Amino acid sequence: MKRLALLFLAGPALADGPAVPQFVEETEAAGFAHSFTGDWEFVVGGGAAVFDCSGDGLPEVFMAGGTSSSALFLNESSETLAFRKAGSSGLEMDMVSGAYPVDIDADGVTDLAVLRVGEARLMRGLGDCKFSDASADWGFDAHDLWHTAFAATWEKGADWPTLAFGSYIDRAQEEFPWGNCTENLLYRGAARKFAPPLSLNPSFCTLSLLFTDWNRSGTPALRVSNDREYYKGGQEQLWHIDPEAEPRLYTETEGWKRLRIWGMGIASRDLNDDGYPEYFLTSMADNKLQFLATPGPDAKPQYGDEAFKRGVTAHRPYTGDDLRPSTAWHTQFEDVNNDGFADLFIVKGNVWAMPDFAGADPNNLLLGQEDGTFVEAGDKAGVASMLQGRGGALADLNGDGRIDMLVANRNGPAQVWRNAGPVGNWVAIKPLMENANRDAVNAWVEVRTGDRVQQQEVLVGGGHAGGMLLPLHFGLGPAEAAEARVIWPDGEASDWVKLILGQINMVER
Amino acid sequence: MEPFHLNRRFLLLAGVALALPVPAFAADRPSPEVVVLQWYRLILELIRHTATYSPPVASRAFAYLGVALWEAVAQSRGLTSLAGQANGLAPLPQLPGAVDEAVLVHATLSAATATLFANTGPTGQRAMTAMTEKLGAKVTEGLDAVLTADSSAQGAAIATHILAWAESDGGAKVENLGFPMDWTLGGKPSSWVPTNTADLQQAPLLPGWGDVRPFALTGELPCGLDPHPDYSEDPASAFYAEAVEVYETTKTLTDGQKLIARFWSDDPMLSPTPPGHWISILSEIAARDALPLDRLADALARLGMAVADAFIVCWRVKFEYDLLRPITYIRRLIDPKWEPLLNTPPFPEYPSGHSTQSGAAYAVLEAIFGSDFAFNDATHEADGLPVRSFPSFKAAAEEAAISRLYGGIHFRAAIDNGIAQGECVADFINRMKTL
Repeated sequence: MKRLALLFLAGPALADGPAVPQFVEETEAAGFAHSFTGDWEFVVGGGAAVFDCSGDGLPEVFMAGGTSSSALFLNESSETLAFRKAGSSGLEMDMVSGAYPVDIDADGVTDLAVLRVGEARLMRGLGDCKFSDASADWGFDAHDLWHTAFAATWEKGADWPTLAFGSYIDRAQEEFPWGNCTENLLYRGAARKFAPPLSLNPSFCTLSLLFTDWNRSGTPALRVSNDREYYKGGQEQLWHIDPEAEPRLYTETEGWKRLRIWGMGIASRDLNDDGYPEYFLTSMADNKLQFLATPGPDAKPQYGDEAFKRGVTAHRPYTGDDLRPSTAWHTQFEDVNNDGFADLFIVKGNVWAMPDFAGADPNNLLLGQEDGTFVEAGDKAGVASMLQGRGGALADLNGDGRIDMLVANRNGPAQVWRNAGPVGNWVAIKPLMENANRDAVNAWVEVRTGDRVQQQEVLVGGGHAGGMLLPLHFGLGPAEAAEARVIWPDGEASDWVKLILGQINMVER
Repeated sequence: MEPFHLNRRFLLLAGVALALPVPAFAADRPSPEVVVLQWYRLILELIRHTATYSPPVASRAFAYLGVALWEAVAQSRGLTSLAGQANGLAPLPQLPGAVDEAVLVHATLSAATATLFANTGPTGQRAMTAMTEKLGAKVTEGLDAVLTADSSAQGAAIATHILAWAESDGGAKVENLGFPMDWTLGGKPSSWVPTNTADLQQAPLLPGWGDVRPFALTGELPCGLDPHPDYSEDPASAFYAEAVEVYETTKTLTDGQKLIARFWSDDPMLSPTPPGHWISILSEIAARDALPLDRLADALARLGMAVADAFIVCWRVKFEYDLLRPITYIRRLIDPKWEPLLNTPPFPEYPSGHSTQSGAAYAVLEAIFGSDFAFNDATHEADGLPVRSFPSFKAAAEEAAISRLYGGIHFRAAIDNGIAQGECVADFINRMKTL
């Protein structure tokens, strides 16, 4: 780790800013050949699901294909990235818009919720990267919808997950699609079966869903980001999802403040170490970075937008000649330079020949700084792709502790970049529980270095049409010792444990 | 002009070109009036869902669409053209012979809409294509092929002529959603400053819109207005008193006042915008009263030109006064934590754009329909806001104007003087000859 720390200190940096890791595009060399294709019904979507189905510690990547077949890429990376497209994993299907990994049946083998323009599917992991459709076995009543979003949680005491599926527009409406948002559905169940879904009415053309314990109450709520292009009377939403109760919206009386954006994606991270998550919401032109107005046990769901103050409006291209406003999709916080400050990744791309918005719209890599602001480094890091981005992921694809990057492009080739550093020290933590909710979804992992405690929530959802189920990655900067504990979903805290740096550390309950 | 009173005679004439009668067609063919209202329904959606369509830009589109429609109908029925009346509009290509009015207006609006909304997104493009094809198939069903071709060609020719005219008005090209890339703030205590943290909106919207060629206003741009109270930070001043009025009113809003503020909020990208709100009102009346084609086209043209000219003079004055918004003044001098009900629009305060264009709209509609013309307004029903009823156009305009004070985005002078400015604009429109 000493070697990494020295490299980190000696690495290239923005003027008085953070070290900029160098990303090397290895799409072709890695054998990562894939495109998300389609016309109107695939202007959104294009998600990537990242999870380890082979058990070798390296994550596989499932890519939505739209009108092309979806594909599972088996990870054979070593120092450089290398993938092999699976021939018959069971995940090869048409009309796929996105996917999220989640261990539904808690058998220790990750399953996959597959979003489609048509019926969604729940694909059971069989091991060795093979999957079979378990929708019927699990009583999953799939509706014929334009599926665009997904999130999962385990409600208190539940042995079976609660799934939220988001959908978009009634695609039969040609002349007047506006105001014709289709319903979002909440699936609850028990004894290995889902009950018929509840309608999350009203639904407002959703493009991202996230179960998140926003107020640290121990009961995650459902955050919904909606596309104002299509809804009428809509807004961003936050649902109470209380065990054994009907879902109900947070109201203005409770403090919820109306926000109407072209909601495309959600990223969540506690950026100021106060124990409460911040949310980055992607949109068109200006994006939003929401901080809780009055953090605390009695917090109201009132958020202030600090995107401008912190330098993450990301409202127009930062490089190239095209200065028209941007269009943002997938988003994710990860610490790509392992300096201990979360960085922000935003996938950009024109919707489809919209001349009022940038056509050459580079993806953003905004590096977090100690003072809470961010600085753009996408071009300097080598990831300023101008293709028509949609989904994506930041994940350590070759197990070297450096967060790599992949992007799904609409009607264009997907891309992968290897992070060649320099980076600081790091640690990854995988919390594990027995029986239900094995991956401890909505647990909080705390990593302590000296006086500082970084905190991350285990999440299944958010982003744009795709997500990850991987150990949580923490950058540590020059720190050479760290310890961690887990606040399990029921609120019980584990003991602090010493971590082995530069490795994945399992914390079992 | 004399107010128009509906009667059955107009209903019987609908759909028939008076000068050149055409054969009867399939009974389920849409009438020309239905074609117009279907297109305007789509246009209101396109206004809402096309990012460049801020209120001034929307008003311009309504004007050109209305004039194109009027010219098509005027030619078909031998009525008075706006050529030679509207600034810069040259005589239009003449009808080759018999036309079918449903096909004619379909072709005119289809072509004009496709160009004016060329920058809408894929969903809007898909909708325009679907409307052109599906409605086109209905209006031409069973119709003679030559008549169909002639009518379509004439509609397209009229649209081409109007669109060429539009290209030269200085408002055709809107970049960066209307926000200049660089902008220097006025720098005086009274100057407008950005009122939100959207990076794009750190410069004001469309600062050059006051230079766009108007439709009916002539000479050195008329319809200036009395100044607002002199800027002052003295608590005894008239300006301070106006700020206190906004502050106190917004602190004690009734549910009814909140509803009024939201009903007339008419935010771009979330509604058909303020000019679209008035077009929506007119469309509802036309459907309710089966307004015949010539009257419908006349009203749409007049209303479109009225709101367009209103925004032009309003914007000219806004950037002359360059006045700060209530949120800036009140937070600076009265209450740093004050939050208005509505989002403050990103451009100078004086006068109120909604008030000016509502003043123009009501005065034009009053000239057409009369001063005591009651109507319902369901513009925002799909957005969950209730239908509102008004005893007159003026009552609606006054409510629209005062809604900006309830919303906390305008001072009193901007509202009262804005209405007066709009009435001045309407005088020019009302002097134009059509029917």
